[in-house]
Amino acid sequence: MHILLVEDDAVLADGLTRTLQAQGMQVEIARDGLQADALLQRNPPMVTVLDIGLPGIDGFEVVRRLRARGDATPVLLLTARDAVEDRVRGLETGADDYLVKPFATPELVARIRALARRNAPKSTVLALGNILLDTGARRARVGERALELSVREWAVLEYLLQHAGRVVSKQQIVDAIAPWGEDLTLNAVEVYVSRLRLKLDGAGVALRTIRGFGYLLEAGA
Amino acid sequence: MSSIRLRLLKWLVGPILVFNLGAAALTYLLAWTPAQLAFDDGLRAAAGALAGRVRAEGLAPLNDGQALEDGVGEAGWAALHDAQGRLLAGSPDLAPPPAPPPAPNNGALRDARLHGEPVRIAVAALDWQGAPATITVARTVRARQGVRSAIVRSLVLLEGVFSLALVGLVWLSVGNGLAPLARLRARLDARGSADLAPLDDAGMPRELAPVVGAFNALLGRIDAGAQAQDAFRANVAHQLRTPLAGLRLQLEWLAARHTGDPDSTRSLGLMLQANERMIRQTNQLLSLERAEPNRFARARLQPLDLAALVAESIQHFVEQAAAKDIDLGFELAPAPLQGDRFLLRDLVDNLVDNALRYTPAGGRVTVACGGAAQGGSFLRVEDNGPGIPAHQRQQVFERFVRLDEKTVGSGLGLAIVRDIANLHGAELSLGEPGEGSGAVFTVVFP
Repeated sequence: MHILLVEDDAVLADGLTRTLQAQGMQVEIARDGLQADALLQRNPPMVTVLDIGLPGIDGFEVVRRLRARGDATPVLLLTARDAVEDRVRGLETGADDYLVKPFATPELVARIRALARRNAPKSTVLALGNILLDTGARRARVGERALELSVREWAVLEYLLQHAGRVVSKQQIVDAIAPWGEDLTLNAVEVYVSRLRLKLDGAGVALRTIRGFGYLLEAGA
Repeated sequence: MSSIRLRLLKWLVGPILVFNLGAAALTYLLAWTPAQLAFDDGLRAAAGALAGRVRAEGLAPLNDGQALEDGVGEAGWAALHDAQGRLLAGSPDLAPPPAPPPAPNNGALRDARLHGEPVRIAVAALDWQGAPATITVARTVRARQGVRSAIVRSLVLLEGVFSLALVGLVWLSVGNGLAPLARLRARLDARGSADLAPLDDAGMPRELAPVVGAFNALLGRIDAGAQAQDAFRANVAHQLRTPLAGLRLQLEWLAARHTGDPDSTRSLGLMLQANERMIRQTNQLLSLERAEPNRFARARLQPLDLAALVAESIQHFVEQAAAKDIDLGFELAPAPLQGDRFLLRDLVDNLVDNALRYTPAGGRVTVACGGAAQGGSFLRVEDNGPGIPAHQRQQVFERFVRLDEKTVGSGLGLAIVRDIANLHGAELSLGEPGEGSGAVFTVVFP
């Protein structure tokens, strides 16, 4: 996954590069707005991580020029200011998401992945821990073991895998797996999740219940 | 402290009373002197008349009580003395007139006492059997004293009423004149502690305008100073964020590389903790600034749902709770209200962060929201930690107050919560759960 990182602070740029590389991303760095503008035209990345306060032209201007060219490359703005105007202005200019410094690393990685997914041709294989879910072939495995799933269980697991590491509410799951106003209760979601939990035993993932709210699927025992 | 009212009253009432006293004394003299003269004339005339009768009728009239009466009921005495002061006839109690004897009909008047009573004495000269003699007539002064008391009584009554009326009038006028000052003070009293807007000088008298002007100039300088201070604080906090973010990433990366080395892991863990503390403190300073009443823009209020706001921050809460193995749960029902999204998120963050921070590992924290029984919406954060003793519950909302020195905190979180609740007109209360130990923070929005 090719990421363009535009950040003038050397320490932060270095830290971000190593962190993102450790996540298997290829990171290209621009130190100022003009350089970023040039790189965006020459070698469009999958996702751009863009600081607002840059020497030369600022992040807002970079996004404005990008969108003016009709380029839809996803942009994640990094801002040190959390003034309301900054947030609103960033999104109005055409950025896709923003994160206030200092951010939690998993949060940054999750948002970059979400933006990349939006832009990428739909990947058909979702993986976490030992789970492999091939949505194209509709085949699921835990390690070498085939996973037998009902249609609903499949849909719930697919949604959880798409949001791995993120807390999702039961209502979000209902909305995602029964999108046409089908009658699906929150209790039903609980039943599917408890069945999934049994079937995912030994899959190297933790499916945690957030009391009164929803679930969190993450890698690890 | 000196009082304008007292000064005015002292300088108005004092002179008024002195003048009234002077006027009363003058009135007394003007009324009393003619009366005295009239009585004296009567007495002198009586002495002259008696002298005439003695010349014509002999000594008989001296012993005639009737002749000595004056018609106003005064007792009288009369005596005839020769030039040597020897008593020739009449009352022996009357002393002879002092020598030389007065000229005829020029009887000098004097005061004396007779039979224990004050008397007025007149003397008339006459010829008695070829030798000069004097007739002395004495009369009591009861009638004139009656007249004098009547004058004094009326004067005292009149002047008393007059003085009281004047003092009352002065009191009212002074109060009326000082009313604009009282209004000014009421306007100042009615202000919030952070309201530095200039005073409205509409309706202020000309004399107060310079004071209001000077005061407004001072307010302006204070406001500019406060804003510069806010801006400086925000700027510093913002400037710190980028290096703190860089430091966090570098430390995390280093920690990931040294997982096998316990000493490095421990040391890096401590560095990360310190870094987190700095990040939190920086964010607190910024949210404190956002919660400043004079930065609060009513225009930014929008219809919101507390449940949705809590859901937005849930990822962060869950991670924080997982790190301490705290059972974090939610009871979120729709809780609509008008509010500032960013401030309310600060409020929720700080309440939950506070609960997670002060609840021991393995504890339980529950965040609830919904429609309040008395209308409006509520947010409740309940923990089963040690709780807060009743007598310290007001204190925790003060800035930089930390009840527990062992736990790392800025002492700003709950002050921020209080400020934001106040801005939204919400009731913030701190209690204890129905059973067991712990703290329950409840915010009820109107």
